[in-house]
Amino acid sequence: MSSTWMTTRAWLLMLPLLAIMIAVIGWPMADTVRLSFTDAKLVGLGGRFVGFDNYVKMLTSGNFQRALYATTWFAVVSVTAEMVIGVLAALLLNQRFYGRAVLRALLILPWALPTVVNATLWRLIYNPEYGALNAALTQIGLLDSYRSWLGEPGTAMTALILADCWKNFPLVALIALAALQAVPRDITSAALVDGAGPFARFRFVVLPYLAGPLMVALVLRTIEAFKVFDIIWVMTRGGPANSTRTLSILVYQEAFSFQRAGSGASLALVVTLIVTVLAVGYGLLVRRAAGSAA
Amino acid sequence: MSTLTIDAIRKSYGAIETLKGINIDLASGEFLVLLGASGCGKSTLLNIIAGLAEPTSGDIRIDGRSIVGMHPKDRDIAMVFQSYALYPNLTVHRNIGFGLEMRKVGAAERDRAVHETARLLQIETLLERKPAQLSGGQRQRVAIGRALVRNPKIFLFDEPLSNLDAKLRMEMRTELKRLHQLTKTTVVYVTHDQIEAMTLATRIAVMRNGRIEQLGTPEEIYNRPATLYVATFVGAPPMNLLAATAQAGRVTVDGTGIALALPGLEAVPAGRRLVLGVRPEAVGQAGEGIGFSARCEVAELTGPERIVTASVGGQRIVAALPAAARVEAGDDVTLHVDPASFHVFDAETEARLN
Repeated sequence: MSSTWMTTRAWLLMLPLLAIMIAVIGWPMADTVRLSFTDAKLVGLGGRFVGFDNYVKMLTSGNFQRALYATTWFAVVSVTAEMVIGVLAALLLNQRFYGRAVLRALLILPWALPTVVNATLWRLIYNPEYGALNAALTQIGLLDSYRSWLGEPGTAMTALILADCWKNFPLVALIALAALQAVPRDITSAALVDGAGPFARFRFVVLPYLAGPLMVALVLRTIEAFKVFDIIWVMTRGGPANSTRTLSILVYQEAFSFQRAGSGASLALVVTLIVTVLAVGYGLLVRRAAGSAA
Repeated sequence: MSTLTIDAIRKSYGAIETLKGINIDLASGEFLVLLGASGCGKSTLLNIIAGLAEPTSGDIRIDGRSIVGMHPKDRDIAMVFQSYALYPNLTVHRNIGFGLEMRKVGAAERDRAVHETARLLQIETLLERKPAQLSGGQRQRVAIGRALVRNPKIFLFDEPLSNLDAKLRMEMRTELKRLHQLTKTTVVYVTHDQIEAMTLATRIAVMRNGRIEQLGTPEEIYNRPATLYVATFVGAPPMNLLAATAQAGRVTVDGTGIALALPGLEAVPAGRRLVLGVRPEAVGQAGEGIGFSARCEVAELTGPERIVTASVGGQRIVAALPAAARVEAGDDVTLHVDPASFHVFDAETEARLN
């Protein structure tokens, strides 16, 4: 069989899938690009071609800049916290102790919950009238009177980040735990005999084995955090006073609440671009980490 | 230059006792090989000396001072692992100097020591490389260098040559012997390879099921094995074992009618089942001694020798004959054994009787 025929056959076999992909991803993408250059509304027909107007307006608007800042803040703080807590939890669960298997199984629970359930649960905890957080803080004397954690611009974002950490640190912990179990016992023993203390052992023995997998976790979590929508939508809808309005919330409001399909599309494309840049950048980092570990 | 005393060491994991009372006294500069099949407890004993495991009971002393309960780093020992256990992200230079670095030895002093060790092991040109860029033999040299550089009281080796191919293993064996002659440090070396044990050791402890089966010099282990297990574990091809019976002060080899008068067996009661051991290299085609009529089943030329597997009265016997011996499969031959080279064991207790 000639290689031309093999190639042709491969393409023929892939054709149905390609057709579906083009229909459900390619065409909407292309249409979004087209829309972003028009002033089309969500309902009604067409819309006029307006060139780069949507992009210029959006990039220079305070709303976009504030949303970009909120998104970056959310992503950086929550992902950093998740990485640190995740690794610490993994180190702990890698020790030998009674009941370890049970704790390891429990660890996955927050992550296994649907985001909407998790968000609803935390809304209850933060509730200004009967929330558990208020009750706990008042009872141990850290708080004089109940506060509206999600109702004040000063605390809403932090409250959201906390909820997101609780849900997502288990993923980091699981990845880190798997990596920790791959650290050869001989090397740990050699470091003990060589006189390395706990910090030196972590730095020189554990970290080299942890770096690659952690990089993967970092990439996954950062991209997810950057396009965060559901947990915020359920808990604050971007409020109060737009203090938790991230880029995805902004896109949603622009396209669906205000029904401005054109500028919504341009915004969505910018978010896509940012996430793509992040993904490619991290992809390169991961490849370099993998190269140096080999 | 230190003595090592292993005093009544026992180790249990739950109900399973892996070490059942080990006693060894090592003089300064000795090279002790712990020899045994996997699961015999030899690695556990090594880990206990290193401080990577604690004994259930018993004491370990270096220069008379107990080290049980002491942190591994405070025992002044160095250990070489089967997997080399190099730090993957550090250069060879830092790998070798790691122990000194952790002990806060100054950079200049460290650099001098690393270079000196590297010269001794002929790996000076590799100092800037990472472990992944080294061959197995080079990695093993680095691992040995990391132990050597600290100039410890005791060296521990955990099957250090098992991951190397046959040719490299022989080279490194000689290298280890050379290093030991040079440094004269006390060594405890774990292996399941009897050739390594024979060539390197000043004394061998053959271990089995958590006990020492025999502790002695390589010559003693080879020439006067204390038990049937030691007799078959050491030597290649392994010692021939012939079923025999004690009869009126003589030993009758089953199925042959040959009766031997062997010294030291006068007190053995008649009818006792015995095992008669004889090394393949003690079996000859000519010469003095008892002659066995045998039929050659297989003849294998190894180069220096012709290994002949023959049948004697229904029992199998292997002889290591000179390469020039003209024996082919199917030939009838007479095999001679000097009575003095027989090892007699009790078939039941497996203990040596003569």
